[in-house]
Amino acid sequence: MENRVSLGSIQKAVWDGRLPLEIVLASSESRTFDKTDPYLISYPRISYLPSLLPKLRAFFSNFLIDPNSQSHDGWFEFEGVPLKWHYPVGLLFDLYAGVDPASKTAARDNESPGDGSSLPWRLIVHFSDWPPDLVRLDAYGMVMNDAFINSVKEADFLRNGTAKGIMSLSKEDSSGLWNAVQEVDLLSFQRISNILLPQPSQPFRNVPIRVFLPLLPDAESSSLKVVQTPLPPSIPASSMQSSQILTSRSGSTLQPQTVGTVLHTLLPNLFPSRRTPVLAKPVLHGAVIPMSAPIEEVVRSSAYGDGWAYIVVRMMG
Amino acid sequence: MAAFCSAFPFLTQSEFEGACQDLADRCTSAQHIDWSAIRLLTKPDGTSLRITKRVDVPSPLEAPALDLEESQEDEDPEALVRAKPQPSLQIDYDILLSPTYQVPVLYFGLRWHNHGPLGLDEVYQYVVPEQYRQQLKSVGVMGGISMGYHPDSGAPAFFVHPCNTADAMANIADAQNVTPGSYLLIWLGLVGHCVNLHVPRELYA
Repeated sequence: MENRVSLGSIQKAVWDGRLPLEIVLASSESRTFDKTDPYLISYPRISYLPSLLPKLRAFFSNFLIDPNSQSHDGWFEFEGVPLKWHYPVGLLFDLYAGVDPASKTAARDNESPGDGSSLPWRLIVHFSDWPPDLVRLDAYGMVMNDAFINSVKEADFLRNGTAKGIMSLSKEDSSGLWNAVQEVDLLSFQRISNILLPQPSQPFRNVPIRVFLPLLPDAESSSLKVVQTPLPPSIPASSMQSSQILTSRSGSTLQPQTVGTVLHTLLPNLFPSRRTPVLAKPVLHGAVIPMSAPIEEVVRSSAYGDGWAYIVVRMMG
Repeated sequence: MAAFCSAFPFLTQSEFEGACQDLADRCTSAQHIDWSAIRLLTKPDGTSLRITKRVDVPSPLEAPALDLEESQEDEDPEALVRAKPQPSLQIDYDILLSPTYQVPVLYFGLRWHNHGPLGLDEVYQYVVPEQYRQQLKSVGVMGGISMGYHPDSGAPAFFVHPCNTADAMANIADAQNVTPGSYLLIWLGLVGHCVNLHVPRELYA
C-alpha cells in the first residue's frame, strides 16, 4: 500500500503549481516587428491569462504600433489558436502545449516530462484585432468575474443539487472567492469554499468534472470537444471489486466512482478498461491521474478555483 | 396522451428532445407566428431548437451610424440621407438542455442584418423589454444575462442564467400534471419574455 497523501497537501501542491511562460508581442503590432523582448513569468497554473494583461500592456507599451489600445483589448494566441481566457492557464497548457504529462512511469524511466524543448510555454499577446471566437473583456474585469462565478454556481449546483449555497454566500465572500483565486491565496479560498462544500462526511450529489477530448490535428475548427454528464460519487458495486465496498441506506452495495469508471462509461472506445489506460490517459494539472482515484477525492483535492476538475484526455503512443 | 415529466422540476434528455420536436411541429402548422424560422437541430450529443426572429429597431436614429457608413461607403453618400433604411436586427435563440442544471437554457446571439454580432449593451437596448431591464441588471455580477460560449458552436453567445429555473418551475407548475411539452411552453413563457421571445398564443391551445 502506498502512503496516503492528505487531500489538503495535494490541494496545496495544485495551488503551488506554476508554469514558465514566455510571452511575445504579436510582430504585426510591434514597432520592432519580431525584435521585441519577450515577457517572462512563472505563472500559477490555476490563474487566468487576462490577469496578466495590465502588466503586459505596460511592458510592451513602447513597442505598440497602436498606442491607444487598452489592456482589456488584449488576447492570447498559441500556434494560431486564440486561447479561451475563461479557462485557467494550466488547463490551456494541458490542452494545447503537447507536452508529455508527468507520470510515475516516466519518472522511473528517467525521461522527465517537458524536457526543456516545450518550456517555457511560448504565447503571443495581441492588443488589437480581437478574434470573433472569443468573448470580449471589459475594462473593469466584470466579464471575467461573471464567467468565474457562473462556473462556481454550476459546480455548486452539481455538488448539492440546488443553487442555494452560492446564492446564500454574502457579497463579500462571493467577491472574496474570486479575489482569492486571482491572488492565489489558498487560505482565504479555503475559508470561503468550506462554506460551499458539503462536509467530508456528506458525499456530493454529483461530482463537477468535465472531460476534454483530444484535439484532432486536422480538425476544421479549433473548437474543443467537452463531455459532461451527472456523475454520482458512488455507483452500484460490480462483483469484481470488493476492496472499497460501501453500503448505501437502501442496503444495496456501492463502490466509489473512479476516474476509470467514469472514462470507461463516457468514452468506452478510448478507455476499454476501467483500471488501465490502454489507448489514452487522463491528465489533470500536467500529470497523469490514476484510474483508481475516486472522483470525489479528485475534486475535493485537485479542482480548479471554480470547483471543477477539468480532465484532458491524451492519446498514448 | 403524453407522459408526465419523470424528474420534475427537471427534464431528462429524451423528454427535452420530444418536447422540442413537438414544439417545432406545432409551429410549422401554426398561422400567426412572428418568428422567421424555427428549426430542430439534431446532433449526436444532443438536440436543440433554434428560433430566429427579426426585430425592427424602433427609431432609425438609434441605429449605429458607423455601421451604416461602413456598409455603404461605396455608394452615393446622399443615398444615406434619402433612403434611411430601417435597420433590422436578427436574433437567433437556441434552446438547449443544460447538462449541469438539467433544465432548458436559452442562448441567443444578435446581429444587424448582414453584419457582425453585437454586445451586451445592445442586448439591453434592443432585446430586453423596458419593464424587465432594471430587474435583470440587478442580479449577479453583470445581471441575469451573461456572455459565454455556445455549447455547440463554441462561438460567443449570450445566455439567460438557468440556475434558478428549476425552483421557478416548481413554483409555477403543478408537479403532478406537467408533460414535457407543456414544461417547455411554461419555461418559454417564463424565460422568453425578458429577452423578447414571446410564445404565440395559439401554441397554448
